[in-house]
Amino acid sequence: MKTLIRIALATACLNAATSASAQDAAFTNRATELKDKAAFEALVIIPLPADTPVKVLARSSGWTRVEVNGKTGWVRVFHLRFPATVEAGSSSSSGGFLGGLTSSMGFGGKPKQDGTKLATVGIRGLSEEDMKNASPNPEALRKMQSYRIDKASAERFAKDGKLVTASVEYTDDSSAPAAPSRSKR
Amino acid sequence: MKRASLAFALSFACASASAQFDIGRILDSAKKITEVAKNTSDATREIDQEEEIQIGDGLAMGLLGAVQLYPNDNLQRYVNRVGKWVAMHGERPDLPWTFGVMDSEIVNAFALPGGTIFVSYGLVKRLNNESELAGVLAHEVAHVVKKHQLAAIQSSASSGALGAVGQELLSQKLGRTSVGKVGLQNEVAAMGTNLVKDGFFLRPLDRSLEYEADRTGVVIATRAGYDPYGLVSVLQMMQGLKEEEAGLSIVFKTHPQPSDRITELEKSMVPLERYAAQPQVEARFKQSVPQPK
Repeated sequence: MKTLIRIALATACLNAATSASAQDAAFTNRATELKDKAAFEALVIIPLPADTPVKVLARSSGWTRVEVNGKTGWVRVFHLRFPATVEAGSSSSSGGFLGGLTSSMGFGGKPKQDGTKLATVGIRGLSEEDMKNASPNPEALRKMQSYRIDKASAERFAKDGKLVTASVEYTDDSSAPAAPSRSKR
Repeated sequence: MKRASLAFALSFACASASAQFDIGRILDSAKKITEVAKNTSDATREIDQEEEIQIGDGLAMGLLGAVQLYPNDNLQRYVNRVGKWVAMHGERPDLPWTFGVMDSEIVNAFALPGGTIFVSYGLVKRLNNESELAGVLAHEVAHVVKKHQLAAIQSSASSGALGAVGQELLSQKLGRTSVGKVGLQNEVAAMGTNLVKDGFFLRPLDRSLEYEADRTGVVIATRAGYDPYGLVSVLQMMQGLKEEEAGLSIVFKTHPQPSDRITELEKSMVPLERYAAQPQVEARFKQSVPQPK
């Protein structure tokens, strides 16, 4: 099974140049539908049984663009699960000292080349051991605090990113009817 | 008397911790300190905002003794811009919000009382856009807004220790004390560091508090104008990392499984669907985060 995932991943990596986002291989976590647009009211291309393997192409908010048996469409984001992308043999940490935990992998090599999201295994910094050996570092805290941003700067930053404040109420319960209203854009 | 007892307990904790990590002895110290606090009849009083910030600073100094900041000014400022903007949409916008990227390959983020938030470079580099970063930071902001860590500190054995420090701080009225501000900072730093050694960052919060931070955080990120699904995307990424990172990342010891968090979010996010067209802000994110590819 792991071998299958590995092969599927490798295949997906070759083709999925459009998006190095998320993992490439996923499964439906319930019976759902492949839709022709990223919308609830979109047309159904094909129904997908639970546990159907799909290739993830891109994400768009609450929808994920996938390929299934040569067909491309959209699946609701909550209807997918991502299997653990096991091994790390193909990647290495981005360099530097490896503290604490070790493994048989090579560390400190070049950045990974494959463009996938296979994560690094190298643990650098902040192992439990590091915490046990901590000593106070007030200089580092002062440095960190020097990066603080004031409200006016944050507002300019938001404007540059076309972020507009929305008025949204908390939802304590999924069944609670929500009536959020949006501020003027 | 109170000060002497506290100083004794502190030095005791320091000595045992530096010689050898010994949780039993530290907890014992903490209990003694709690007793001191109880004797002054004030142990469970509410910690005010200034003390909360001091406690957070002490913990931050300790954590920064275990991990360095990621050496990239642009990235640090960028994360502060996103974080500040997000935090301005929570219920405690006026805290001195401070965000730091840790130079660590683990996948995790921490919130400290008073509004100091850490996120690992190992997590940031795995994100795809600003709405995902906002989702992570909003979860941590929610912990601070709801005072989850502060409550945990106040209610656990080791937190008795912090409560006592807070009490010390209050009783001495910062800046008007014989110890002086520097002395107090040293004391708080020592206590924060002891809590770090004692495993403060390894202890999980109650699962329900993590779900609450997820639920609250997605609303805060959505208020800030981001695509509400950023956190869901991050959790799916973590779902994919599970097997590989399981033994290595503290996040998997201290949080419910990503799958369970996604399931909970699915229930609470229905009303947020109407904000699904809000931006993910990808270009600026890619420019600001050095990608190891």
